[in-house]
Amino acid sequence: MDLTNEQLIKMYTTMVKIRTFENRVAELFAGGKIPGFVHLYVGEEAVATGVCANLTDKDYITSTHRGHGHLIAKGGDIKLMMAELFGKKTGYCKGKGGSMHIADLDLGIMGANGIVGGGPPLASGAALACQYLGNDSVAVCFFGDGASNQGTTHEAMNLASCWKLPVVFVNENNMYGISSCTRDSMCVPNVADRAAGYDIPGVVVDGNDVVAVCEAAAEGINRARQGKGPSLIECKTYRHRGHFEGDPCAYRDDAELEEWKEKDPIPRLEKKLLEMELLTESKVEEIKGALQKDLAAAEQFAEESPFPDVSVLTEDVYT
Amino acid sequence: MSNMTFAQAIKDAHVVEMERDPNIYVAGEDVGVFGGCFGVTAGLLDQFGEKRVKDTPITESAIVGTAVGAASAGLRPVIELMFVDFIGVALDQLYNQAGKMKYMFGGKAKIPMVMRAACGAGIGAAAQHSQCLEALFMHLPGLKVVMPSTPYDAKGLLIEAIRDDNPVVFLEHKMLYAVEGEVPEGDYTISFGQADIKREGKDVTVVATANMVHTALGAAEKLAADGISLEVVDPRTLNPLDGETIIASVKKTHRLVILHEEVKFAGSGAEIAAQVAEEAFDYLDAPILRVAAPFCPVPFSPPLEQAYIPSEQQLIDAVKKVMA
Amino acid sequence: MSLVGIIANPASGKDIRRLVAYGSVFDNQEKIRIVRRILLGLQAAGIQRIAYMPDYHGIVERALDGLQVDMEAERLQFDTKADQRDSIKAAHLLSQKGAGCIVTLGGDGTNRVVAKGAGRVPILPLSTGTNNVFPYMIEGTVAGLAAGLIATGKVSRKEGTFQSTRLEVVIEGEVVDIALVDAVVSTDVFIGSRAIWKMDKIRQVFLNRTSPASIGFSSIGGMLRSIAAQEPVSMYLKIGNNGRPVTAPIAPGIIETVSVKDVQLMADWESVDIHFAPSVVALDGEREVEIKKGQEAAIRLSVNGPLVVDVEGTMTFAMKREIFAPATSIS
Repeated sequence: MDLTNEQLIKMYTTMVKIRTFENRVAELFAGGKIPGFVHLYVGEEAVATGVCANLTDKDYITSTHRGHGHLIAKGGDIKLMMAELFGKKTGYCKGKGGSMHIADLDLGIMGANGIVGGGPPLASGAALACQYLGNDSVAVCFFGDGASNQGTTHEAMNLASCWKLPVVFVNENNMYGISSCTRDSMCVPNVADRAAGYDIPGVVVDGNDVVAVCEAAAEGINRARQGKGPSLIECKTYRHRGHFEGDPCAYRDDAELEEWKEKDPIPRLEKKLLEMELLTESKVEEIKGALQKDLAAAEQFAEESPFPDVSVLTEDVYT
Repeated sequence: MSNMTFAQAIKDAHVVEMERDPNIYVAGEDVGVFGGCFGVTAGLLDQFGEKRVKDTPITESAIVGTAVGAASAGLRPVIELMFVDFIGVALDQLYNQAGKMKYMFGGKAKIPMVMRAACGAGIGAAAQHSQCLEALFMHLPGLKVVMPSTPYDAKGLLIEAIRDDNPVVFLEHKMLYAVEGEVPEGDYTISFGQADIKREGKDVTVVATANMVHTALGAAEKLAADGISLEVVDPRTLNPLDGETIIASVKKTHRLVILHEEVKFAGSGAEIAAQVAEEAFDYLDAPILRVAAPFCPVPFSPPLEQAYIPSEQQLIDAVKKVMA
Repeated sequence: MSLVGIIANPASGKDIRRLVAYGSVFDNQEKIRIVRRILLGLQAAGIQRIAYMPDYHGIVERALDGLQVDMEAERLQFDTKADQRDSIKAAHLLSQKGAGCIVTLGGDGTNRVVAKGAGRVPILPLSTGTNNVFPYMIEGTVAGLAAGLIATGKVSRKEGTFQSTRLEVVIEGEVVDIALVDAVVSTDVFIGSRAIWKMDKIRQVFLNRTSPASIGFSSIGGMLRSIAAQEPVSMYLKIGNNGRPVTAPIAPGIIETVSVKDVQLMADWESVDIHFAPSVVALDGEREVEIKKGQEAAIRLSVNGPLVVDVEGTMTFAMKREIFAPATSIS
């Protein structure tokens, strides 16, 4: 596909931004700064980045428990994200949601979701609103291999196909639902195989190649915008870290991880852009430096922000 | 004013609101061509067309879930869950998604949707098509729970529910669909959290919901002949619950019997009894009694089903007990 | 004991052409069912031993499960990578083990990589991919019979196979990759989602087999001249404005008019330079090789393509030899 130099550099920057954010979150979590638990997107950056490169603020996404990457790629503010992870009043959700519930409805981010398979019906619903209002917007549903086995996912895809809803189901197949390998949890080798059952296009792409993801997503999203209905794009990828921070990962071997690290989407694009002379070593340093600076500012903002006052405990239950 | 059935009043509320707001759509199993399992939505498809009246597959999670998604993206869905018992396959979308979104997102989400559902025993529909589940919904923060007993209340409460910016569970006892009553033309609303005193009295307060309001009124008639005066209070909405009106009534009568069709154990009456005990214990001249279904699934066989549903006689016995 | 190899690609039939064209989602249950029919065909042809490529889904294991065949089945032992390296590795091991035939399930892309590892072992390619020219669209049972006849030698290689040609991608004097049907030079710079379908970026097309009845790029050449798989000729098309308009089905459901500036036939070992760098060369429909700025690259025709089972021919020999219809004396 025709990607401009700016688009390519932006995708690279977004991936590095996600990676930098997640790596810092891992450190902050280990250091006790972040309560609860966090699920990191390290290794899967190409998926959110390649898909969201085709979306505007008027388009919707539903995310997952591993949602930081989707939020950043869709334009989320890392200051507000970090403050939310810290449980601070200034966070995206005033500290009431945490990692698994960050949303920014102004950016069309309908929320990370703590329920595996919680998002697909919501995405179909947002797509229904787009179709109903005739506003040219679409919805993208990010969901994992685990969610692909949930009944809600089936229902959402079936209804989306029956009603030709403008939604693209983007499966992030990282091979594991916590510890269960897709080998044992899925009766078909590809989530995309199931598209046949919904009479929608189903494609598999290399989820660690941001250009491949971007290309496939562009086709699915354009198709949806043209009123041709939903599609299913399966992105084969891998999470470098455990299911959650602190997961000892006894269910997979190091060799497998190492192999996937060789397919890391960030060095892959970096190498290519260096070759194409769109990037130089100094430009890379510049990008990384700027991101580090923003991240440090976000962390400082989170650190210095107050915790919510307990008086707000029961606020925001009802409108 | 015109005389119409409970079912017609609900349909009338749809018409009034759908004419007013083009972003309201109706969806559910067999709500269009078939007119709804109980005929409530009959005629809406002809009047408003397929875009706004959507027959869905049998797919409760998607019916509820798409409503949540559509509501957060600018529409105002009114969906029908054919029988409230079916919430089991769709509950996540209602309580984890719709109910919690606003809070989880720090107050920013708005989920204006209504889920209508038929509930209650009495037609031989057996265990999976007959239960009353209002206490289940009352337990879930973020949801509002409405349970009307008359055509007038049904229309006014449904219009209010559609205009509300929160997810509302609107429970329709199926034995009420044919009940007739006077209903105003056009639009009017009944605010949530305002109980209605269906019959004034001085000796015993009976708090009853849905179909049981009529059972209570029947008992009141009979007991009046024995010189016992019942005050029948219909909360109309269980969340928000108008504890104030109930407590004021108890302070007047000093006796409370709660009547509902759902099971007694951890039923909605338990909450009402607890609130009265906390706020008006000193005014009580007798223990609070609850008349409700036994703790078992709704049976099929007619004599068993009749034994399951709380009866006028059971209420009369309870009233006599608190009067003793 | 004759050995037949099975390489079933679990990923075939899923590329982006389901979105950009009208390709089918080829489900893996169908691949399992096809493998069952192949196994039954092999058994009927006298095969008692097979070996197969391991895959993350276990297509062959699932096919064997519940099937009553009296056959030794070996899962080839190697660390799978869940990508095309597995097919090459499996083909290579099968060749080492002396397999008499390899049955493949996949598309042109799958067969291209099998051909890279199969050496002189005949391939019987069955189509489960997208727009396929190389593999046959035939019933698995018949494929099993034919593969069995070749592997057991009941029909000799000379009788039942042919040597296909291939196109070689030569960069700085080294063969870096091959194609079995077509090599297409695109001004794309990314491999991306691999499939290639946008004609506006395509500049050079090389075809070593063409037919007016085929699908894909080979159909463009096929509208001009037919080239059989074993014919030591390939066609080079230069694409550009104001050329001869050729209308052809370039992908499932996609019929386009392509402007062909020049047509040349290439003989064995003849090569044509790739005029664009950077560019991407798509091999048998998949963007595969990046030509970097400043690199010298060319496409060369070679007659050293894979040995391919001619199913029709093999079965015809079987008929002539009465292998499945022995004459009986009627008293």
